[in-house]
Amino acid sequence: MIFSKSKNSKQKFISCTGNNKKYEFINPKKLYIKQGKENIPIEIITDKQGFVYIIWKKKKYLVNIIEKNQNKYEVLVNGVSYPISVETPFSYKRRKYLANNKEESKIERIQAPMPGKIVEFFVEEDQIIKEGEAVLILEAMKMQNEIISNVSGKINKINFKPDDIVMKDDILIEVEK
Amino acid sequence: MDINGKIYKDFLSRIERFKVQNGPEKIKKQHAKGKLHARERIALLFDEDSFEELDAFVTSAMPDTGFGKIDEAFGDGVVIGHGRINGRIVYVYSQNFTVMGGSLGAVHAKKIIKVQDLALRVGAPIIGINDSGGARIQEGVASLSGYTSIFHRNIQSSGIIPQISMILGPAAGGAVYSPALTDFVFMVKKTSFMFLTGPDVVKEVLNEDVSFDELGGAEVHARKSGVANFIYEDEENAILGVKKLLSFFPSNNMANPPYIDTKTEQEKNIDKLRAIVPDDPNKPYDVKKVIKLIIDQGSFFEVSELFAPNIVVGFGRLQGKAIGIVANQPKVLAGVIDINSSIKAARFIRFCDSFNIPLLTLEDVPGFLPGLDQEYNGIIKHGAKLLFAYSEATVPKITVILRKAYGGAFCVMNSKNIGGDYSFAWPTAEIAVMGPEGAVSILYKKELQEAEDSKKLQKELAAKYRSEIANPYIADEKGYIDEVIDPAETRKKLITAFETLENKYVDQPSRKHGNIPL
Repeated sequence: MIFSKSKNSKQKFISCTGNNKKYEFINPKKLYIKQGKENIPIEIITDKQGFVYIIWKKKKYLVNIIEKNQNKYEVLVNGVSYPISVETPFSYKRRKYLANNKEESKIERIQAPMPGKIVEFFVEEDQIIKEGEAVLILEAMKMQNEIISNVSGKINKINFKPDDIVMKDDILIEVEK
Repeated sequence: MDINGKIYKDFLSRIERFKVQNGPEKIKKQHAKGKLHARERIALLFDEDSFEELDAFVTSAMPDTGFGKIDEAFGDGVVIGHGRINGRIVYVYSQNFTVMGGSLGAVHAKKIIKVQDLALRVGAPIIGINDSGGARIQEGVASLSGYTSIFHRNIQSSGIIPQISMILGPAAGGAVYSPALTDFVFMVKKTSFMFLTGPDVVKEVLNEDVSFDELGGAEVHARKSGVANFIYEDEENAILGVKKLLSFFPSNNMANPPYIDTKTEQEKNIDKLRAIVPDDPNKPYDVKKVIKLIIDQGSFFEVSELFAPNIVVGFGRLQGKAIGIVANQPKVLAGVIDINSSIKAARFIRFCDSFNIPLLTLEDVPGFLPGLDQEYNGIIKHGAKLLFAYSEATVPKITVILRKAYGGAFCVMNSKNIGGDYSFAWPTAEIAVMGPEGAVSILYKKELQEAEDSKKLQKELAAKYRSEIANPYIADEKGYIDEVIDPAETRKKLITAFETLENKYVDQPSRKHGNIPL
């Protein structure tokens, strides 16, 4: 009733790129993008083959969404892929608020999920890695399994070398968040 | 009624007081914590202007208990009502943290029970938005009785209407059990927590220092405990997630899932599918690529993505019709079946069966995970859950064997013998009691011991076994599967097969319920 009026129709969105550049736009059809204080009109067109182009400042760019996960997109523009997240004004504020509230850095341990033999490390000590990046291959159940880091950070320590046999829960790599 | 008269003014003044109570400073307080207000969440959830609130003006049961004062607030600490999501009626309760920390007393509980009863009576889904400090201590046993009545209704509604819980703040102690009893749990990173006993008690009893996040944060429940099915960066995206999830469900167990025209003119032959499974059986690949190519473009919605990722479960659409997908993931732990993946898949299958959502199984499994850890923790019992769930399900069930289908795992993953309607296999399939290396070391034990170069002999025998035994053609010729198909034709075959099963009906003997190994 009184306070629960929906305002979904004119929702403002903010899109953030990997290097934290900020663009604002309003959904759904008004295609203006606010960059700094300037409102720049954009046009989106689809050609007969189904390719999508954005016309931005009189230039035509071929775009393609490769991956979509929640509000995070990987977009291919002219053959280069860019990570982009779409935020609302509230979620954008929340992101900043949570960034300020970060816990102090901690060590995350990557453990062997099952017994097996280490085939290869993809990383070395002091290397910076991203969440979701494969760090090593563990051979188990006659299969080569990629072990993935759940956190972004710096490789602090590597505990084994290729051809070592490891047991379940052995700490393979320590990552400093 | 005279619009300037006293009667109308009284009516308005009450609404005015209500507005003040839900004023901007309360909303600001929530925003400062990185959270939305209970009413803002509702506004985002429902179609424009469709929400109707119930019991907005009830007040808490005992304003003064002599042991801590209770705020006299309209509506107590929860907003309830109904509205439409994509046009369909959905009931909701949303706990209001700005009224006494959203604590649950007798009236608060009564309101939740009211919507639970209504939702069950009319056969509409219910969404619970949890943001509460827990039981209201001042109200004592009345709070406990309230919780218990909520649990009871969760259980009575289970399998009749879809129940979804969103944890958007703390949920501690008894409060965790209502979400745990519902079908799906959503959490938000950093601002939502679930635990039975908080960090203070852990410190007191076990002398262990843990933070809120380590004990019951979204990441923990998504990766380790499996309690949370979905985790999101922020509440707005979480609410969009709930809406998307609901689009796959019927309103209740008597209805069929809604058909959505996905408008994709997809090619029926997908050549890319031929290239996904590597020729080397020891090489992994991402089964999600297979899923995304087979189903309608962009329709895959994964459930419990981070928990037991060696099995992939989720919803998707085939020509606009909702299906549930269960797929072994060779990319993670070789796609083995272990305790967690059995539990995850079994629960998903039972949900789909409850709500008439047909099941597609994509199989590539080397077997059950061996080892002390698994055996001691009861892989026998937990693996049996998966078997039970598949066998019990009466919805249309189709399997496609992509590669490995070895041993017990072949039986468990929806084989025809436990009631699978159709089984297809790709030419890359290997169907046998065990993998080539294991099989030859048992069959040719003596020969291998006596051989000069046992490794070379084993390799030769394994290759022979692979080409003669571990292929789909024996099973095809003996009728244990229905057809070996060209991978490129998979989508076409599945669309036709599911169409033929649309009117599947299984008559079951009456019983109270089966005894699934818990």
